[in-house]
Amino acid sequence: MILAVSVVTDFFQAVLQGVPPGTVYALVAIGFVLTYKTSGVFNFAFGAQAFASMVLFHKAADEWGWGTVPAAILSVLIFAPLLGFLLEWAVFRHLRTAPPLSTLVVSLGLTVAIPSLVTILLDFSPKSGSSPHGVVPDGRTVRYDPFGVYPFSRDELVATIVAIVAVLGLAALFRFTPVGLMMKAVVESPRMTELNGISADRVSAGAWALSSFFAGLAGVLIAPRFTTFSANEYFNIMVIAIAAAAVGKLVSLPWAFGGGLGLGVVIALVSTFLPRWTDEFAWLKPVQENVLPSIPFVVLFGVIVFVPGLRKAIGSSDPLAGVDPPRQNVASVITSAGWMFLALKAVLLLGAVAVVYTQADRTWTLLVTQAVAMGIIFLSITIITGLAGQISLCQGAFAAIGAFAVYQLGEVRGMSVLVAVVIGGAIAAAVAAALSLTLRQLTGIWVAIATLAFAFFFDAVLVKQSWIGGDSLARSRIPRPVIGTIDFQDDSNFLLLAVIVLAVCALGVYLFSRGTTGRKLRALGGSEIAARSVGISPSRARVAAFALSGFLAAVGGGMLVIGQGSVNYGTSFVPFLALFWLIVVVTFGVRQPSGAIVAAAFFILFESVFLKGEIFGWILRGEDNIPSFFPLAPDWRYILFGLGTIQYARHPEGVLAMSAAKRRARSERRAADKVVVDSAAELGTPA
Amino acid sequence: MSTVLATRGVSKYFSGIMALDRVTLEVNAGERVGLIGPNGAGKTTLFNCILGVLPVEVGEVELNGEDITSLPVHHRARKGIGRTFQQIELFADSTVRDHLVIAYRANRPRWAVVHDLLTLGRPRPEEMEASDDVLELLGLQGLADEPVERLSLGQGRLLEVARTLMTNPDVVLLDEPSSGLDRRETAALAETLVEIQAERGFAVLLVEHDIELVSSFTTRSYLLDFGHLLTSGPTEEVMASPEMRAAYLGTAVVA
Ligand SMILES: Nc1ncnc2c1ncn2[C@@H]1O[C@H](COP(=O)(O)OP(=O)(O)OP(=O)(O)O)[C@@H](O)[C@H]1O
Ligand SMILES: [Mg+2]
Repeated sequence: MILAVSVVTDFFQAVLQGVPPGTVYALVAIGFVLTYKTSGVFNFAFGAQAFASMVLFHKAADEWGWGTVPAAILSVLIFAPLLGFLLEWAVFRHLRTAPPLSTLVVSLGLTVAIPSLVTILLDFSPKSGSSPHGVVPDGRTVRYDPFGVYPFSRDELVATIVAIVAVLGLAALFRFTPVGLMMKAVVESPRMTELNGISADRVSAGAWALSSFFAGLAGVLIAPRFTTFSANEYFNIMVIAIAAAAVGKLVSLPWAFGGGLGLGVVIALVSTFLPRWTDEFAWLKPVQENVLPSIPFVVLFGVIVFVPGLRKAIGSSDPLAGVDPPRQNVASVITSAGWMFLALKAVLLLGAVAVVYTQADRTWTLLVTQAVAMGIIFLSITIITGLAGQISLCQGAFAAIGAFAVYQLGEVRGMSVLVAVVIGGAIAAAVAAALSLTLRQLTGIWVAIATLAFAFFFDAVLVKQSWIGGDSLARSRIPRPVIGTIDFQDDSNFLLLAVIVLAVCALGVYLFSRGTTGRKLRALGGSEIAARSVGISPSRARVAAFALSGFLAAVGGGMLVIGQGSVNYGTSFVPFLALFWLIVVVTFGVRQPSGAIVAAAFFILFESVFLKGEIFGWILRGEDNIPSFFPLAPDWRYILFGLGTIQYARHPEGVLAMSAAKRRARSERRAADKVVVDSAAELGTPA
Repeated sequence: MSTVLATRGVSKYFSGIMALDRVTLEVNAGERVGLIGPNGAGKTTLFNCILGVLPVEVGEVELNGEDITSLPVHHRARKGIGRTFQQIELFADSTVRDHLVIAYRANRPRWAVVHDLLTLGRPRPEEMEASDDVLELLGLQGLADEPVERLSLGQGRLLEVARTLMTNPDVVLLDEPSSGLDRRETAALAETLVEIQAERGFAVLLVEHDIELVSSFTTRSYLLDFGHLLTSGPTEEVMASPEMRAAYLGTAVVA
């Protein structure tokens, strides 16, 4: 009896405890659905927008001494809507007819660019040890206990009440104001509205401003839950919000609200009851330790895999979906480059390696080795995104599988590290294949979200298991291989080995893309329905692509850690970084292996060469001649590449192919001019 | 004569609206059958149900006497259904040859990896031969290495036919092959269709608004309107029927 009472009390306590974060998740989810439905943009940058408002709020309140109310007005009421408006006006408006995957990439780019940009522009550097605070004084310490079960902190109460008021306000806006009615109409059927003569541009700009306001509000309200000022926390919040929105198939505002609230409560319930169960069921212990952070990802993955009809939810809900303007055709770029061109590239690459091999000091050799290993990882993106047309956000997890395989088999079990690399590749291939089998009914955005969920699950749960992550000290003792009499302890030798592995992998990618599966994938990318109706199985081809891509990522990850001599999971493989990989590869060209290799070189060397200004040291002969504004903050690379994706969306073929295409166009134009001149000459008229 | 393709009581709803109402039809081996009806009658929807692009709510689809209702699209295709599309569907960034090679290969899935390694991804001799044959049959020889972006609409439609021929189908579903073509091109297309059908002997189910093409090409026709099969029989009789007039003039449907 007493037990039953305490269970009930605990239950209520957990429910109440879950409400404050739940309402904030709901806010984010609602804002997210708003943009998704009005503009079709799956806005990964939403968390970054929330972060931006939070940073501005703290800057104004703490450093400019504005007091919390003016600071909140500035950051939430003024800045946040402006940011949303700006994003719509400057970026997403121009991507209406772009393929959905390129808008997705742009939003990923903004995800990495916005936090860095805001931090740098505002010169925001919180004192170490300081943590975010809420909008009321003593928010954490003063508590109220209205039901006698759970004492709400002041911050929590404010967050809950403000969030509920905001949602009610949104409902009222939709119901009673003309702007709201228009927006609601667009949310329900964008094309219908357009046909009725309402300017979708204006409505969409309004919706972006409104949803960005929700982002800013959530960003400021949720801040006191965190102990540090980290953009990653906000990225996590956004993943939770995506899970909440996915409950309503990304299109239902009430479901998004319910989903957010529900997730908050579920998380609180699990954290209350799971520890209790584990007293009785010992096998639950290891699960318990990691389960809390993983709930959103498990829910997200579960919703995607198990909710039937999710895939069809979008296209068919709009009866006029078929009247969309045709999708812009991705320019034809895999030109038959020809052996000459390939050979030229190879010679250039080998030349570069030869220079490094003979001239560079140890630091540079190691750096270039890293770039080479990274090139192998990036080839996995060439396969999965460039060839198979899928956005995978868990390549970091695959690479980490390779890294941990090297550690577990090579360091712990004493196996040869090179064998371990291959085994790691096989494991990652199996994991990738299994993952893509679970997702085989899905494409596009859902694959991106599901792989993101997997990446976070890997990050939150699997890495912490001792049979994968092991202990961090031992992770820094990865040995180098020895083959016969060649000892790869020598850095230059190891660089050569890495180059050979890269060359083999690049050749493999080349053959795969020209082979049967590559042809099938290209056909599927060209017209999925036509490909299926000549007998091509989409899921088989995609599973193969995923497996190969997992293999490559793991091999690259393995080579990377052997080169570095340690597994630095946090600085090399975390999900956020893997997202950045995708952006870099896409910027340089996701469709040819050479794009991946150049991207890797940039990714690794960018910081040393450009941000630290060493290139000026070379050019001006002498370290002392590096201009004094170097080194630039490493964050600049996020900003540059993140904003670079906008350019990508307009030229999906990537920087390398773009310049090649320009060259081609120029020579064609010249040829055309010549024809005109010739025919003019024939006609006997002066040209 | 044996039945190649049959639908038995196939019904299809789109969010409550009936697009197909218990449609039953049969196509015999080597037969040329028309499927006519005004815009929105459900012709393309029926094709999609036959191929499995859309699931059917009620009814069965049979191919060569086998119930294929629950098979995925690519299995049905490999079992012998070919099709073309009302809105042309080609593989972007590919040459004419690529289209034919992959269609051929998708139906002979064995030892792909070994072949790839032996040929380094180039088309195999038998694929070159088969695709040359089909190209010649359709009068597309010389275009093998063209990227599809350079083809005219008429050539594109022929390429769709060529692609489906590479899978060696028992029955081909043609969805308005003449749409977007001018009279001359349509006449040429009709001629080509007759030729290749005679040569290869597959059955055809033809959806077409061009009355002339239907009359000259098909022997038998079905008339579909608002998802109902109104009548069927020899093509001239269907064309002359009161149901036909009613359907096309938009007066009340005579059941
Ligand atoms: N995916 C879909 N979702 C909802 N309704 C659909 C869908 N596809 C077709 N319809 C509807 O089903 C009906 C039949 O369409 P269908 O395209 O089969 O006609 P059709 O006979 O091919 O016409 P046309 O001669 O114009 O090509 C139409 O009313 C159409 O609007
Ligand atoms: Mg049609």
